[in-house]
Amino acid sequence: MREFDGDRLMALGAVADQLIPAAHGMPSAGAVVDAQRLAFVLGARPDLRGPLAAALRPDLGDDPAARLGALAKDEPDNLAALQLVIVGGYYTDKRVRELIGYNGQEAIEVKSWLLPQYLEEGLIDKVLERGPVWRDPSTGQRAVVADAPRTYAERFAATAPDKE
Amino acid sequence: MAVEPADVLIIGAGASGAVVAKRLAEAGFKVVCLEQGDWVNKNDYPGTRPDWELRARKEWATSPNVRGLPADYPVDDSDSPVAPLMYNAVGGSTIIFAGAWPRALPSDFRVKSLDGIADDWPISYFDLLPYFYKTDRDFGVSALPGNPGYPPDTEDAPMPPLPIGAAGLKVARAHAKLGWHWWPEMNSINSIPYDGRRPCVQRSTCQSGCNEGAKASTDATHWPKAIALGARLVTGARVSRILTNDAGLATGATWLDSDGNEHFEPAKVVVLAANAIGTPRLLLLSANSRFPDGLANSSGLVGKRLMMHPFANVAGLFEEPLMSWQGQFGDLIESLEFYETDEKRGFVRGARWGMAPTGGPINAALPSRAGEQAWGPDHHVHFKTHFGHGANWGLFGEDLPDETNTVVLSKSLRDSSGIAAPEIHYHMSENTRRMLDFHIERAKESLIEAGAFKIEVDRLMRYSGWHLLGTARMGDDRESSVVDKWNRAHDVPNLYVVDGSVFVTSSGVNPTSTIVAIALRAAEHMVETRFEQQVAS
Repeated sequence: MREFDGDRLMALGAVADQLIPAAHGMPSAGAVVDAQRLAFVLGARPDLRGPLAAALRPDLGDDPAARLGALAKDEPDNLAALQLVIVGGYYTDKRVRELIGYNGQEAIEVKSWLLPQYLEEGLIDKVLERGPVWRDPSTGQRAVVADAPRTYAERFAATAPDKE
Repeated sequence: MAVEPADVLIIGAGASGAVVAKRLAEAGFKVVCLEQGDWVNKNDYPGTRPDWELRARKEWATSPNVRGLPADYPVDDSDSPVAPLMYNAVGGSTIIFAGAWPRALPSDFRVKSLDGIADDWPISYFDLLPYFYKTDRDFGVSALPGNPGYPPDTEDAPMPPLPIGAAGLKVARAHAKLGWHWWPEMNSINSIPYDGRRPCVQRSTCQSGCNEGAKASTDATHWPKAIALGARLVTGARVSRILTNDAGLATGATWLDSDGNEHFEPAKVVVLAANAIGTPRLLLLSANSRFPDGLANSSGLVGKRLMMHPFANVAGLFEEPLMSWQGQFGDLIESLEFYETDEKRGFVRGARWGMAPTGGPINAALPSRAGEQAWGPDHHVHFKTHFGHGANWGLFGEDLPDETNTVVLSKSLRDSSGIAAPEIHYHMSENTRRMLDFHIERAKESLIEAGAFKIEVDRLMRYSGWHLLGTARMGDDRESSVVDKWNRAHDVPNLYVVDGSVFVTSSGVNPTSTIVAIALRAAEHMVETRFEQQVAS
């Protein structure tokens, strides 16, 4: 991480604040994306190390807006890497995730035994009422299917096993 | 000591290769498969990790050029607005596909007869129907039966449908008002425990591998069974060419291991299952004095007619939270309302719409697919507007075959084994542009009716070449096709192609369900005609 000590880390903080400032109850990215968050991002994405170092090089000056402008004009790949590092560091931070109400991609049980709301509301029946929408290659026209079920209850009754 | 030849050598362990391997192993064939990738441990899938979105953009990217893993080969796609996507491992692209499982429709097999353009297939939807049912059971499909977008089925999907989510419900209600078709999507993702695999948990990380094993990928659904039946799967085996004898029959394939050592795998029959870029690449690499333009290429069509389903995305933003970062990525719902030709629209054929989740917070914070971005104080407003508040219609336009859309061998780019890489040349037709423009407008109407306060459109997404099709088409006429209706090469009677290369036209739907049904049909025919199969002596 030596290449991101000192000037480059300061430049990263300044650009982070420029892109994502504190507002609307959210902290600035400069206050969140510290050396630890940077290490987390680069641990997942070591390929970003080079373009990030280029985007933070001292000769682009101290003004974050001017740095972003120069990168947008001449080095879009380095700009994209810089943006991804800042956004990645910010939105993987535990406190930020709490503020946006996100716990990561969660495991949610599929309750396939419950009647779906779209069936309860009759939305499938509306589709079935209109009949087939596929084109019959033998006629070139919208298919006509004799005795096509017009409600889901009919469709279900047609396929239910016979009762003794 | 000479190695006894395999009855069948399969090149590629993805969707179609696995289907053929399992069926032939069941029938007692001695099966060998060469796969350039390796097994992937599902514990390595990043979906449960906090850095999932970061890794999904690099080592789990869908483009081999972005990923650049040792198993990948580069594709020169600089002359294409659409980048081809794939995954090289046991399971192939089923590792990273979304799991949507629609079938091609009956009209898709009769495009010339119905619309006077492109070509008809030598087989029909109804020829494939028994194989659709079998592959639905083998892969494990969840669906609501009775979709009037298709002919009535005589067999229902083996599992009930997955949830459609808050976004799907909102749009379903809108389509009820509009009188437009919609239906819960058919997905090859378990909704209940099935075949020893767990049900979906709605994590929405399907495209970087399913941590639950709920999504069907052939490393889980087919290969363990095929191997138990005696099939031999060799990983890390990059095939460099298929060899033929003086009689023009295939004798096997040469391949390179990861250390660069060359091997030869002899076989009585060779089956190519390497996708519509890898397969023509290998056929062209296998040129010899008898087949100077590439193997099985007397028609000149190997590598031509590449189709990739140009893809547009229409996103609606809603005031109320939809938690749209969760849910199966396969698809929540679909619409076939505008799938069939209506010439009054100014183009022929159509597009399927599929609604998928919208991604995690990093995706919401970065510039959107439509190019929308907001930095500075407005960033937080932009984020809160997008994150979990979106419903996306993905529009797959039917891509008509065009002989100028090609896969050729690069003269300069090589893979890590030193083999010529494929180079693609692809453009989108005027018919397709008009088609996508029409569908974008209708999808906007759908989302506005559903209550969207803002619509964002990506008119042609670059990283959308999931569906690789058409580069070794099937047909009855050997002068205008590469393989016959049983997937056998016209020129080489013991060479088969079973991947999406054989598609005559592209349909407008996700093709994996149709690819594997065609592959199973070919395998069944190989079993039935085993004693008539010509092989190299």
